[in-house]
Amino acid sequence: MVDYLNAILVCLNPVNLILIIAMVSLGIVFGAIPGLSATLGIALLLPITFGLSSTTSFVLLLAIWIGGVSGTFISAVLIGIPGSSSAIATCFDGYPMTKKGEAGKALGIGMTASFIGSVFSILLATVLSPIIANLALKLGPWEYFSLCFCAITLIASLSKGSIFKGLMAAGIGLLMGCVGSDPINGMSRFTFGNNNLYGGISTVAQMLGMFAMCQIIRDNAKGSTKMPECSVENMKGLGVSFKDIFSNIKTILFAFFVGLWIGFLPGMGSGISNMVAYGYAKSISKEPETFGEGNPAGIWASETANNASLGGALIPMMALGIPGDGITAMLIAALTIHGLQAGPLFMVEQKDLAMLIFACVLVSAIVTYIIQVITKRWFPYILKVPYHYLYTVILVISFIGGYGISNNIFDIYVMLFLCLLSVFMSIAGLPTSPLVLAFILEPKLEGYFRRGISYAHGSYSEFFTRPVSCILLLIAVACVVWPFISDAIKKRKNNKAAQGVVGNNG
Amino acid sequence: MKKPRRDVITGIVGLLGCAFFLFYVQKIKMPPKLLEPGPRLLPYVAITIIALSSIALIIQGIKDRDKSEKPYFPAGGIKKITKSFIMLCIYALALNYLGFIISTPFATFAFIYDLKGDSKVKPIPSAIIAIVVTAALYLMFVFGFQVRLPAGKLF
Repeated sequence: MVDYLNAILVCLNPVNLILIIAMVSLGIVFGAIPGLSATLGIALLLPITFGLSSTTSFVLLLAIWIGGVSGTFISAVLIGIPGSSSAIATCFDGYPMTKKGEAGKALGIGMTASFIGSVFSILLATVLSPIIANLALKLGPWEYFSLCFCAITLIASLSKGSIFKGLMAAGIGLLMGCVGSDPINGMSRFTFGNNNLYGGISTVAQMLGMFAMCQIIRDNAKGSTKMPECSVENMKGLGVSFKDIFSNIKTILFAFFVGLWIGFLPGMGSGISNMVAYGYAKSISKEPETFGEGNPAGIWASETANNASLGGALIPMMALGIPGDGITAMLIAALTIHGLQAGPLFMVEQKDLAMLIFACVLVSAIVTYIIQVITKRWFPYILKVPYHYLYTVILVISFIGGYGISNNIFDIYVMLFLCLLSVFMSIAGLPTSPLVLAFILEPKLEGYFRRGISYAHGSYSEFFTRPVSCILLLIAVACVVWPFISDAIKKRKNNKAAQGVVGNNG
Repeated sequence: MKKPRRDVITGIVGLLGCAFFLFYVQKIKMPPKLLEPGPRLLPYVAITIIALSSIALIIQGIKDRDKSEKPYFPAGGIKKITKSFIMLCIYALALNYLGFIISTPFATFAFIYDLKGDSKVKPIPSAIIAIVVTAALYLMFVFGFQVRLPAGKLF
């Protein structure tokens, strides 16, 4: 508790508070503009943190993360285009409310729901993470390997489109992670005689190439860099009262726990939680037919759930060192850049820094709400920023970031190669999240697996005889096999239904 | 002849990639007297995953061959993305040889024009923006964040 209070004081130190306010504001802009995202913001900020202290770096990165996730509802409400997949369900009722002249109320609900979801989930994450970390300290390399394996298969099997595309992307991520020296014996792999590759592919180069650069040139080629006009009516006041909160309390509570749980599971981030919570809000509503036509409960559900996922994703990242999604994978990479290793030992040995992360996330969530309340009437102007100027600056910063990794132009070439790879992956429909997760987890996955076998004197049986490891492996297998079983069941049901129709007609 | 589906092409490229990396896995040195599987294990696992997924995608693509497939980019999109990528490569080379200060104003100006889409952009304001962006980023990174920027091999 003392560590936590000290960490809050560090965040409230004037310099850090100014940084939080600046980064949260930038994050809201990144979240609000479709095409930009918190992920992109973190990728661009990572190289800037090279020369900064760990504390300052994390203040910057976490503040932009929270601002970015909270800002996604703005464009969903004002123009009906979600800032990211986490606000898709917000569009369903947010935009109709704007069309009815209730944009102010819809935005008020969006920011209040985001605030409730993020603050309470962060508080829960702060309490639960140390407990889970203490339990995790009792686990061996076998359980850790199974956990990493489970995380990769889960995210690959839940990816959009076919499971094979998710698995293929994860395979590419693993192969990319193998470049450089191997984590146990230091043997060089896939370096093709180039000394620059001996240290492996830089995470920053990967993030900048695959997220920032690829996104910009792809959007430009697709012609999706023009924004529709948005309404600026009725923007005064918060637009929400305590009565509104209490009348939607059941929806908010369910959405919160759904968001928290889905955020906790690797691969199932806010993109899924908002849809699940929206579906539930509709199912318990006395007027389900009004959903999609501007029912405020739809926004409460979607925004509470997607922000609650934030705290949920923080738990495995902090307690186990396992990223729940692309953004937490980047935050783990940022910790590594600063010589820190996320996981149970980090929670015990670097308690002050661990508590700083929780405190900073909480302070950022509160600052985000205050900024949103003050600046609500100017939200429509964010969406009028000309893309060609914004994207140009992002491209130049990406190059600076690529060079800044090791002051070597080679990393820029790697970045360009990965940008090209990402473009081809988009055309092929391969998702990037499994690739990023597999790339980040590859050294751990391999290290734990080989160490596990070494400790067991060459035996593989420990992976299956230790209960936690065995359960995690079974979950991983189920993740891969389940889509096929569910398809087969659906086909059989359809066939039976079709036979029934034919029988009745006959 | 009908154009193959994207899944089939992805699968074929995946298999070719597997063959390429399989060749290079053989070149990874194995330390003697290992108690564990060694440094070749994970590359083999990754290659196997990619190969199996590639085969599955080819089969899926052949099964769905009669279904129509929307082009990923609108008309002229491939030309646009190729042009953008070439510009990025030229900027990378310019950074290497000419350095940040000389190459960035020109690159910024070119990027603004490349990314403008249907928007109207005037040359003089764009040139001023290019110079201001270069100066602001230089000051911010070099003096603010202590990040070194490429000086250029020729200077």
